[in-house]
Amino acid sequence: MKRPPAWPIHAALCVVSFFMLLPFYWVLKTSLTGENIFAYPPSLLPVAPHPFFYVDVWYYIPFVRYFLNSVIVSAMVVAANVILNAMAAYALTRGFRGRKLVILLLLSCMMIPFQTTLIPAYLLTGKLGILNTYLGLALPMFSTIVCIFVFKASFDAVPRSLVDAARIDGLAEWRIIWKIMLPLSTSAVATNVILSFIWSWNNFLWPLVVTRDPLLQTLPLGLARFLSYHENTTGALYAFCILVLAPGILLFLLAQKEFIRGLTSGATKG
Amino acid sequence: MLRRILLSRFVLVPGAIVAVAVVWSLYAALHAHGVVTGTVVGPDGAPIAGATVMLIELNFTTNQERARTTTGADGRFRFDNNRSHYIQVRAEKPDVGRSPQRQVRLYFAAQDVEVREPLRLEAADAPRS
Amino acid sequence: MDHAAAGPALRAPARPGARAGAKRRREAALAWLLLAPALAVFLLYRIIPLGWNAILSLQEWSPFKPAVWVGLDHYREMLTEDPTFWEALANTLWFTASAPVGIAIALGIALLVNTDVRGRDVYRTFVFISYPLMTVAVGIIWRWMLDERVGLFNYALRSVGLIEQPIPFLQSFELALPSVIVANIWQIVGFYMIILLTGLQTIPRNLYEAAAIDGASARQQFFRITLPLLRPSLFLCFVIGVMSSFTSFDLVYVMTNGGPGHSSELLVTYLYKAGFEMTRFDYAAALTVVQFALLVALTWIGNKASGGDAGAVERG
Repeated sequence: MKRPPAWPIHAALCVVSFFMLLPFYWVLKTSLTGENIFAYPPSLLPVAPHPFFYVDVWYYIPFVRYFLNSVIVSAMVVAANVILNAMAAYALTRGFRGRKLVILLLLSCMMIPFQTTLIPAYLLTGKLGILNTYLGLALPMFSTIVCIFVFKASFDAVPRSLVDAARIDGLAEWRIIWKIMLPLSTSAVATNVILSFIWSWNNFLWPLVVTRDPLLQTLPLGLARFLSYHENTTGALYAFCILVLAPGILLFLLAQKEFIRGLTSGATKG
Repeated sequence: MLRRILLSRFVLVPGAIVAVAVVWSLYAALHAHGVVTGTVVGPDGAPIAGATVMLIELNFTTNQERARTTTGADGRFRFDNNRSHYIQVRAEKPDVGRSPQRQVRLYFAAQDVEVREPLRLEAADAPRS
Repeated sequence: MDHAAAGPALRAPARPGARAGAKRRREAALAWLLLAPALAVFLLYRIIPLGWNAILSLQEWSPFKPAVWVGLDHYREMLTEDPTFWEALANTLWFTASAPVGIAIALGIALLVNTDVRGRDVYRTFVFISYPLMTVAVGIIWRWMLDERVGLFNYALRSVGLIEQPIPFLQSFELALPSVIVANIWQIVGFYMIILLTGLQTIPRNLYEAAAIDGASARQQFFRITLPLLRPSLFLCFVIGVMSSFTSFDLVYVMTNGGPGHSSELLVTYLYKAGFEMTRFDYAAALTVVQFALLVALTWIGNKASGGDAGAVERG
């Protein structure tokens, strides 16, 4: 079969990559040189780069505070996700009456975006008395349906004989999950961790609505507040952007496969 | 299995980052006394004694003078209590002139720093560069 | 099916019917117990809110006053007295209409990446890396690239000579929404590409080979083989695109905040403002109901248009 020549494809892909990466390069350059804020015309290569905008960000805004808040909330979300989703997926691998109904219910809940539930979620969180707390921030994200199905697919692949043998040996159910299912599903665990972490780390609307105390703000909130106070007038904003993007990029590069697998398996629903 | 977890990229990379952060914090803690030193020279390059040097602390929008000191016989000055990471220094001596305002950006707050380029006083009616 | 096949055989089967029944009940109870926490989260934050929205939209309520039933008053107000609603609705529909553009671009990229070129994983990473990023940061980056004075776009257009005066992208009534749409497409094209790539890889090679032997041109192969077999993935991309146009709060908030005027207001930003800036929770609930109904309708239309079977659903 005739294969198309390689170089036009490379050229086209390079053009595409250029457009996709250009914003990153431009922000990085500005965070290192501070030009393009007032200077015109901008130059293509960094002129006299210096890291001092990053120092500015560190001291002028409570970056550590925001970072820690985001980390705490995300840690809660990730831990809860792994536990709750594994339990739910394990239950769904067993047969019981109503199993199909539950699966149907979960699939239809996938159609309900978070923004649709915003107002009642806010009122409910208020009623529960956890507005403006870490728990209130994290609770709506404690479980995601896509992740349940990721676990389910992985658990379904575990041979029944293993599970049955364990049950005959008298192992309690939670030990079956802990000792048999999870160790055989490390990639599903990784996918869960990454998907729930990214979702919680990037979440902006919910913290915007739930936090009152400026000390409780997470990174996206801090970034948006910074923008509204200082507009475009300082290189520190772009250094802040880079600092905010860096963990996401790093995590993505470390765990690309798991992330993509999670998205596509959720896409094909199991 | 524990060994495999420890050597996986998920542990090594964050571990390396944490290690670098710890080392840097230690370095910063050890070198953060807030000492700022430098020299003031005249238009001809000779050190000037008795010039007044001002330390200005920069905020996002405001400049605020924090301290003043005078140069010694060798033209050197020293500030001891700088707490900021972004300062400017300026020197002047009546009858000799004043120096342009020099920005000193530090890597961390209260970093001990020696201003390398001496502050050069220029006569008050000399054309500014 | 559900019981361990070895179980009953090892035990002395005294009254096997009752024993099996009790065991099944215990298993069911255990399953529900395991499901309970996750289901509780979804009950609290997905299902109850749907009903709550509906009820709240039919009442007049504020946090300090008791509720009063006003029936369809809010809907009447929305449809007849609120031009902002119509503008937000139109903008949201424009946003949705832009999804096929993004999908087409992503399809092109996916086809390129699918051709076994060297370094395809690198290209794939480059295109996809924008998706997992914080949308707030993406909004800030694009907001500044589109800036009138110092933005990259104006600089590029002026140096090439296409325009004389800089264009105030985000301050113009006509261009604000398209600018937000472009930023959204930039961010989401990687996700579309991944889904389409997965779909492309499930198409068996021998189909193309057989078609080539039969003399089909590349174009015919594309339209007769690739597109039909990609229909589930395309539908999924469309659903994601529709969802994205209904949930792009972060991007609009950071880039334009709905402005200038309401020319880039989306239904989702409008319902946020109604609820949290105007503190009219009941009106915001009505807006939410309308928005959700629209979302379901659009998805259903897309389902019908793509052939009636919602994606590659594996039943069970």
